[in-house]
Amino acid sequence: MSYSSSSFPPLPNSLRQEKMFEYLHNLWNRIKRPKPGLEAFPEIFERFQEMLQNHQLVMELIADLGEKSGGEYIFDRKYLADTVEEMHTLLLHMVQGLNLITGNRHLELHSALNHIFVPLEAELRGRLSLSGEMPLIVSLTEAPLDRPELTGGKANNLAVIIQNLQLPVPSGFVITTRAYRLFLEYNQLEERIHAWLESWAAGEQDERQTSRQIQYSLLAGVVPQEAATEIKRQAGKGRAYWAIRSSAYGEDGELTFAGLHESLLNVPPRGVIQAYKKVLASLYSPEALVYRQKMGMLGEEAAMAVLAQEIVPSRVSGVVHTLDISGEESDCVVVYASWGLGRTVVEGRGLVDRFLVERDYPHHLRRQEIAPKLTLVRPQSGGGEEVAEVPPEEREAATLSEGQVYQLVRMALKLERYFKRPQEVEWAVDQNGQCLILQSRGLIFPKAATPPKQDICESCALYPVLVRDVGVVAHAGVGAGVVAQVASDADMDRFPEGAVLVTKYTAPWLARIVPRAAAIIAERGSAAGHLATIAREFRVPTLVGVEGATELLPEGMKVTVDTKNRVIYGGRVNELLHYELVQSLAFEDAPEFRLLRRLLSRVAPLHLIDPTAPDFSPQGCRSVHDVIRFIHEKAVEELMDLPGLVKRFKGVRVFTLVSDVPLGLKILDLGGGIDPEVSGSRLYPEQIRSAPMKALWEGLSGPGVWSTEPIPVDFKGMMSSLSKTWAETPGAATVSGFNLAVLTETYMNLHLRLGYHFNLVDARIDPDPQRNHIYFRFVGGVTDLTRRSRRAQLLANILSQYHFKVDTKGDLVVAKVLHLPREDLEHRLRLLGRLIGFTRQLDIQLRSDEDIPEFMEAFFEQNAPAREDTPA
Amino acid sequence: MKDKLKIMVLDDEPIVCKRLKPALEKLGYEVDTFIQSVEAMHQIHQTPYDIVITDLKMKEIDGMRFLEEVKKQYPQTEVIVITGFATMETAKQSFRKGVFDFIAKPFKLGEIQEVVARAAAKIKGATA
Repeated sequence: MSYSSSSFPPLPNSLRQEKMFEYLHNLWNRIKRPKPGLEAFPEIFERFQEMLQNHQLVMELIADLGEKSGGEYIFDRKYLADTVEEMHTLLLHMVQGLNLITGNRHLELHSALNHIFVPLEAELRGRLSLSGEMPLIVSLTEAPLDRPELTGGKANNLAVIIQNLQLPVPSGFVITTRAYRLFLEYNQLEERIHAWLESWAAGEQDERQTSRQIQYSLLAGVVPQEAATEIKRQAGKGRAYWAIRSSAYGEDGELTFAGLHESLLNVPPRGVIQAYKKVLASLYSPEALVYRQKMGMLGEEAAMAVLAQEIVPSRVSGVVHTLDISGEESDCVVVYASWGLGRTVVEGRGLVDRFLVERDYPHHLRRQEIAPKLTLVRPQSGGGEEVAEVPPEEREAATLSEGQVYQLVRMALKLERYFKRPQEVEWAVDQNGQCLILQSRGLIFPKAATPPKQDICESCALYPVLVRDVGVVAHAGVGAGVVAQVASDADMDRFPEGAVLVTKYTAPWLARIVPRAAAIIAERGSAAGHLATIAREFRVPTLVGVEGATELLPEGMKVTVDTKNRVIYGGRVNELLHYELVQSLAFEDAPEFRLLRRLLSRVAPLHLIDPTAPDFSPQGCRSVHDVIRFIHEKAVEELMDLPGLVKRFKGVRVFTLVSDVPLGLKILDLGGGIDPEVSGSRLYPEQIRSAPMKALWEGLSGPGVWSTEPIPVDFKGMMSSLSKTWAETPGAATVSGFNLAVLTETYMNLHLRLGYHFNLVDARIDPDPQRNHIYFRFVGGVTDLTRRSRRAQLLANILSQYHFKVDTKGDLVVAKVLHLPREDLEHRLRLLGRLIGFTRQLDIQLRSDEDIPEFMEAFFEQNAPAREDTPA
Repeated sequence: MKDKLKIMVLDDEPIVCKRLKPALEKLGYEVDTFIQSVEAMHQIHQTPYDIVITDLKMKEIDGMRFLEEVKKQYPQTEVIVITGFATMETAKQSFRKGVFDFIAKPFKLGEIQEVVARAAAKIKGATA
């Protein structure tokens, strides 16, 4: 940093005059710059404030993007590009700001930014889809969910069903479209195929000749080593036989190639590569060629992903239609079933059982039609399939128990709720009686089955409106079910599949039941909160900020929630549900929304949680959120180095808080945080003006919180505390570092080293709830790790009761709460104050896991007023 | 509800049309959507609409010309302009051409529903 150490390097002869001028100019600037020691402190704080503001702006942009993914907004690509650019600019400023106050100690952040923004910008230009970043072969459990152009429609659906909906699906993997490209390239086929297609289009050859040429060259091609090795590795897992199917992009989507591409069943592991090529070749069968020409898709590149799925030697299999395609029982789900493998039902090879189940909860079985079943399809030993006779005693028997029918119906309706379209679900029951989903796709029904277009507005007008034009849309959509109010863990366990969740707060611990909900109504919370994010991931229609919802919508009431129009109807509005399923666009699958979700996955997730972890570094930053988190931590760290600051900068004013609570707290005011009249270096609690600090202090200094009585230490805790170094013991707090609060009128960053614990509270209270947050971090402790973890668990339990989103890692607790109005945040800060006092030496007293509930009770008892808005 | 108001939506981004149609139908309007301005222009010469919702920046016929044409043919038709920030200034000019209101993208479904409701109230008030 010091200019005196810089010497004059010899000027290169080649330097032209203007270069020289520039050089001298820069040099002069360097000399002119004042000594760092003379730099005025307020400037540094100005920087810090600017970084706080930029931090806030980036967080708002992230929240904005998140909200847009909920479907309430209409946006275009330009909006996405503008937002990403704005974020980039803000982050560059933040990185510069941090380097300015830390003497360029974080220059690697620039390359971290590049690592994040180069692919983001490539996404916006639509150039990333098949780049080297994408896998050649990927298992369904790991396949990316927003890249159907990579994995094809069929495999993408299955990956969603496994990863998001967590329904049972046989394991499998995808040979991606990138592998297909590589295959073409490796065998130099691209241009040849193109030429053959052209001569067919020009009428020089018929489709049979064209097809034969292309198919032959594909079958003769060699699968490149890097793909082949991975295919063999995946296929060799276990002793499975495989179904090899096409998963073309667009298939099962708006266009259906159903039946045009080949599926090979019961393929042994060593046959998978050959089967793969056969399926690729089926992309160019004469029928497929004619179909693509007819659809005007011949000019487009055909790219095929191929799905390999483990064959389940099923006892029973079949199909579920979530709507009756005959149109006769429009309020029923229809289950078709037969013995053995699925071909009997799928290909209509004979009579099958038919079960009609009501769509409406509790899904009564209306009718079952048991057919005489004469033949079944079963796997042949050594590969392939065979048709066999059904044993006489099973011919007239029902293939499914009522329980199994019910389970299949629930799964199918869950798929329909997610995909927002009537579904055709292929399923199997294995030898142990477990129901598995094999495939799910949009149900295509004959025109005749579509009821005449009714007037949706008139139909809806017949139902009572319970709520209209109230609340904020977190996810747009329509859902119906019975109201289930949830306020505790026990309520969650009772929550019925497909019910409407009604709750006071969007507490993060509710996340577990989101996938089961048909809709969510909350009295508080924001569209940018954690639960809203989860709701969007599972596409559950969600409305927050519906004041009085828990009273308006009593337990057990049947309602239909339309968050697109912010209306809640009493009863089940079948016309509206049908309209949404059949006529309305599932915006979640529109390309703009896919793009937005892909951007979000590089922007919003926070991976850097523990600042002491080795990957808490610029290299460890994988998202925009990580970068701002890292910058904030490092900037605050810089301010925390008070002795360093006092030494380096002129005019630092540090106040000492005078109080009965022996914290030795130092206070740095960045503007408006304390009474402007304060003189000298002593500050009294009543002179604090910072809203978050005031609230926290009320809690911390409240009656009975700061018990000064000695705490009984049991032997194990004692030994452990004795073995700690002196620097970590309570008296040493002033030696190892200050207790420091950095304040503004609306902001507080508080570091407290209390005895054995280290607390950090970062909070903002603004008139606009969207800007508000509390971030609480707690770490350290005197006893062994088990006890510390136990204390972490206790804290996590208490905090999540107050709707904090809590992460624990060993003895580290990180808790956040966002976007609540002022009084709610103040209430929680008072709680944190009390909690900091309460847990001061708790780890020593917490002897076993069984003590946790007792201590929780003790805390809640001591803090009776706090319970008023905890879930009762 | 025999005399439903007829609404035309014109935007060359298909997602805008696909989302607005059901959102407005549910409020009881009859909605036609177009992603090509030429087709929309053809249609407007055949059929009058009570309300026209149009983007400004489009290929072929641009929104400003389209709305002029609409207003010339049917002065009583209410035109609502939806546009990105870049064309906001132009949008303001459109007021002089008798536009009912304009909305900046991205916008909430609720916002446009509200503006349409106001336009509908004005139309009904005028005919009452």
